Amino acid sequence: MSVATLPAPGVPSHPGSLRANWRVFWHGGRISYAALFNWAHPSIYIPTLLGAPTFQILFFAALGSYATGMDPAFFAIGNAVQVCSMAGIYGMTMAVANERWFGTLPAILASPASRAALFGGRFIPFIVNGLLVSAYGFALGWVVLGVRFDVATLGIIVLAMVVTAFSCSAIGAVQGGLSLRLRDGLFGANLLVFLFLLFCGVNIPLSALPEWMQVVSQVLPFTHGLEAVRQAIDGAGLAEVGGLIATEAFIGLCYAVAAFFLFRWLERSAYRNATLDSR
Amino acid sequence: MASALASVRADLRVVTRVWLFTMKIFLISDFFILTAVVQPIIFASIAFFLFRIGGDAAGEQTLLFAALGTGMMGVWSTTLFGGGGAIAWQRWEGTLELLVGAPRRYDLTLLGQTLGTATFGFYSMIATLAWGVLLFGMPLEANFPLMLPLALLAAVLGLGVMGMLLATTFVLYRHANALSNLLEYPVWIATGMIVPLALLPGWLGPISWVLVPTWGVEAIRGAAIGAEPPWLAIGMNLVLALVYYVLARRILVYVMEKARRDATLSLA
Repeated sequence: MSVATLPAPGVPSHPGSLRANWRVFWHGGRISYAALFNWAHPSIYIPTLLGAPTFQILFFAALGSYATGMDPAFFAIGNAVQVCSMAGIYGMTMAVANERWFGTLPAILASPASRAALFGGRFIPFIVNGLLVSAYGFALGWVVLGVRFDVATLGIIVLAMVVTAFSCSAIGAVQGGLSLRLRDGLFGANLLVFLFLLFCGVNIPLSALPEWMQVVSQVLPFTHGLEAVRQAIDGAGLAEVGGLIATEAFIGLCYAVAAFFLFRWLERSAYRNATLDSR
Repeated sequence: MASALASVRADLRVVTRVWLFTMKIFLISDFFILTAVVQPIIFASIAFFLFRIGGDAAGEQTLLFAALGTGMMGVWSTTLFGGGGAIAWQRWEGTLELLVGAPRRYDLTLLGQTLGTATFGFYSMIATLAWGVLLFGMPLEANFPLMLPLALLAAVLGLGVMGMLLATTFVLYRHANALSNLLEYPVWIATGMIVPLALLPGWLGPISWVLVPTWGVEAIRGAAIGAEPPWLAIGMNLVLALVYYVLARRILVYVMEKARRDATLSLA
């Protein structure tokens, strides 16, 4: 009797190699989006990430113009940008916290994959997602609420939007990291989305807020990005809004780094206390 | 006669027990604390700041108008998420079959649950009023103080029964939460909670008339800052509550029969 010879398994890339990191970053990010983002299915995505923003924009345009007499376009722009934070914050919270919920966290953490690649790859789908939702919001504002801008400034608006979507995803990643320890991660995510509405100049011009709220708004992501979008729509060039975009990018980066170290710290703490998949 | 009376008493007992139990559960739920207390405070702050910029667009009692409106928005959110997900949650927790199989009528259990949800939602009214008084110096006064309890009771009843209707219809859709996410803002707009209906497109009028939150906020606002007692709004709350209950019960019977026939009662 002869024994069939099994083919030798393919030699995987070294976990630390650039190729392996790229695979974890790119494919891992895509797979985690498909697997962990509860709202990816059209029957949830459409009502939650397109339907709800539609009515949010209409609601604040109606309330804002009634209460203040200001142009509805001001509120339409603020909320069209703000809705990108929904995808980033909720999405990144789910992208990290759902690993624990679905019981896949131990397998992920036991793998030798680079944590930076693992973590960073999860941002991309939610940045793209946020941009799509905001683009839809702007289109709605254009059709219904009189939002107008010079096509020449479109590039600057898109740049500011990309940076804003990144920084919102970054604070979502912080919340996701915290969710590795908390019982209900979406509580903080909901709170963040509401706080953006109040603090970041979405509906209330920053100058109308009390001083302490203006200080808080400066350290939150979103505030500078939104201001850059507003100024670009008013015709400002890159020279004028470049500083705002850079500040937004810096704040986003700070949150992303904080999220990464928080994730690492909670990972080690979970190993130490045997709380990796406790709920 | 005595047995009929005992049966009614037992039915009421089921409703009140479930009502109390639901309130207790929500008190320890992060999500419902957020929906009924934190979220209304944030929306009330936004409204207060906006009305301050506009210089009292809604008249002398603008702040009270805003506090009551945003409070009622919180009541609606709580009813929407709590009522809309009522049956779905029982399914996930594995208690639905036990409740449906119990000797007591299931619609009474569901009614108690959704009444509890709506009652809990009224924390938001307390939260926004307290927030307005403490931080924005809002004067707290009512033009018809004796009518306020009646208006509140009618609003709780109306919204509670609407929650039951939501529970029975949302269960037909697999992702009830997504529907809840979708319906929060439209009802805030269509019921004139914070922006008067007169300023919105005319076609919204007939829609608002059949939505009980319209009459709930109208009754409470009428008692607090209205020029006349809000009898019409209170009456409409009660009439719509009755209509909603009949509808909800019919749908519930259909849904439950179908679920039993197809053996899908516990399948989400």
